[in-house]
Amino acid sequence: MAKKVLIVDDDVDVRTFVSSVVEDIGYKPELAKDGEEGIGKIKEEKPALIILDILMPKESGIKMYRALKTDSQFSDIPVIVHSGIAKRTFLRSQKALDEFGDQPVPEPEAYLEKPVEPEELGAMIKKFLS
Amino acid sequence: MSKLLLIDDEDGIRKVLSISLKSDGYDVATAASGQQGIDLFQKEFFPIVLTDIKMPGMDGIEVLRRIKEINPEVEVIVITGHGDMESAIQSLHLGASDFLTKPVSDQLLSIALKRAEERLKTKKTLNNYANDLWYMVKEKTEEIKRRYEFEDKLVQRSIDGIVATDKEENIIIFNSAAEEMFGYTVNEAKSDMNAGNFYPEGISQRISDVFAGKDRDASDIFVGDEASITAKSGEAVPVRFSCAMLYEGDKPIGSVGFFQDLRKIKHLEKELIKSERLAAIGQTVAGLAHGVKNILNGLKGGLYIVNTALKKGAADGAAENKIDYSNVSALPLQARFLKQIVDISAERERQQKKLKTGWEMVERNIHKVSELVLDLLSYSKEREPEYEKYNPNIIADEVCDLMESKAKEYDIDLIRDIDREMGEIYLDPKGMHSCLLNLVSNAIDACVFDLDTQKHWHVKVMTRRKNESGVAFEVVDNGCGMDEETQSKIFAEFFSTKGTRGTGLGLLVTQKIIKEHGGTMDVASQPGKGTIFTIRLPGKKV
Repeated sequence: MAKKVLIVDDDVDVRTFVSSVVEDIGYKPELAKDGEEGIGKIKEEKPALIILDILMPKESGIKMYRALKTDSQFSDIPVIVHSGIAKRTFLRSQKALDEFGDQPVPEPEAYLEKPVEPEELGAMIKKFLS
Repeated sequence: MSKLLLIDDEDGIRKVLSISLKSDGYDVATAASGQQGIDLFQKEFFPIVLTDIKMPGMDGIEVLRRIKEINPEVEVIVITGHGDMESAIQSLHLGASDFLTKPVSDQLLSIALKRAEERLKTKKTLNNYANDLWYMVKEKTEEIKRRYEFEDKLVQRSIDGIVATDKEENIIIFNSAAEEMFGYTVNEAKSDMNAGNFYPEGISQRISDVFAGKDRDASDIFVGDEASITAKSGEAVPVRFSCAMLYEGDKPIGSVGFFQDLRKIKHLEKELIKSERLAAIGQTVAGLAHGVKNILNGLKGGLYIVNTALKKGAADGAAENKIDYSNVSALPLQARFLKQIVDISAERERQQKKLKTGWEMVERNIHKVSELVLDLLSYSKEREPEYEKYNPNIIADEVCDLMESKAKEYDIDLIRDIDREMGEIYLDPKGMHSCLLNLVSNAIDACVFDLDTQKHWHVKVMTRRKNESGVAFEVVDNGCGMDEETQSKIFAEFFSTKGTRGTGLGLLVTQKIIKEHGGTMDVASQPGKGTIFTIRLPGKKV
């Protein structure tokens, strides 16, 4: 049974593209279009890897990332953040939230700024799953 | 000691009188003839001169005249022969202060001298007094002059144009700022012109009324308002004008107008608008670049999927060609062969599906590009609306017909509420069609995005004739609605609530077209309850 990769992104084009890359290297894509749906899918599908967008409606990527990294059930699942915002901006927002009294949260396992080349994305996924 | 000049041709008299005068305390100089006396007087000043009338050569009358010519202040006492009344009168006419008759008595001489002294003293006091007065007048005059000059400078140096009139409305003050503003010199203004040439029209009439006593309460004309004046060159100069009546007691004696030149301010305002526009263009370009980048990423993604599917297809074709058909009859091989065939066709089907997905993605993004370009074109193009006589209901019906199937697809009721008494107005049918279509399509989206699945959604399109000179379109939905923040942004460029689906230009285009019609668009919305867009157009029934 192929390992599952959860793709959380509000843009249908991104979902289609990333899932195609996932499929091509032999894994099974699971899709969610916002953070809320994403959390549900993690519980249902137990993915081996999560590819997460940050700017999304409803539960944003920032909130979802913190939710799953502070839950011992899921905190071991590696997360590739795949976003249009720069890594520095994301890390700064995390640091601000850490200082705000929230539980400190580790940095994501990998960070890819959009747009990403399929080869780079494929190689990154393989690195975590093989 | 007072000095005294005694002129007499008779030696004896000179001696006797000298002794007598000296004993009275005078410092006496004597001259034996008229000419000698004058010579002496010209060298030295004597406040009192005593002269005989009858003398050979220059007589006393002539001496008197000369001395008075040289210094009219001198006290001249003449000595006449007994009974020579005529000389006495003549000398008094010529300004002699007293006369004595011969023989001269000591007593009378003393009295005459005392009187002369007193007159001299009074004259001196009077002189001093006159001098003081002169100085005082001079000082005061100078002070007034200084004050006037100061006030004049104040008026002249004012940045505002100042024009003042007397009660005949003649120009009496026209400062340099006014000269510059109006283009007339102060002389032109003072000689040929009056208040009416400079004050704004209504004000000028009011002022005339105040002077004529027709208008008593002029307090409301003082207010500073923006007005336009016409300069000599014909240029219309924008000014802030304020005005005051000048009163003496309660009698109006003049008026003064202050003109603040607004050309510079107006110029700065224009500059500001220009720089704001440039900033807006910058933002537009940034937004546009972002939109194009997203679409480009979509296209690239689609291409990738199509390409991998094509590559796979080619590889599978090659695998198919390698199937060994020579041993088909051998039974154990048959099963393997069949499995191979099935595998390949299943894979081919997958690739086919993938190809379709990728191609759809490409198509979707091409559609997005064309939508963006079309919106951008109609937003940026200075298109003159093509007005014609048209019934707004036709547009409402057309748009509803067009959107009916989409509404049905999402189970939304599309309700028409058409005012059949509308009549025709002048409008740009194409422009209004795209406006209404945009609003209805937004309304349907608002229902589609609504998460409350318990609701029965509807979109209502309404037309109303508001009054003789206006019509209204209303598009009402009970979809997801907007919070205040979203409402405040809907007319911003490239703002979209529809993620990558919207171009963020639709409402901008709509608003632009409505503005071109001289109309307005209002929005009222409540999150979770729905939204009402109202378009109001001016337009007489034609």
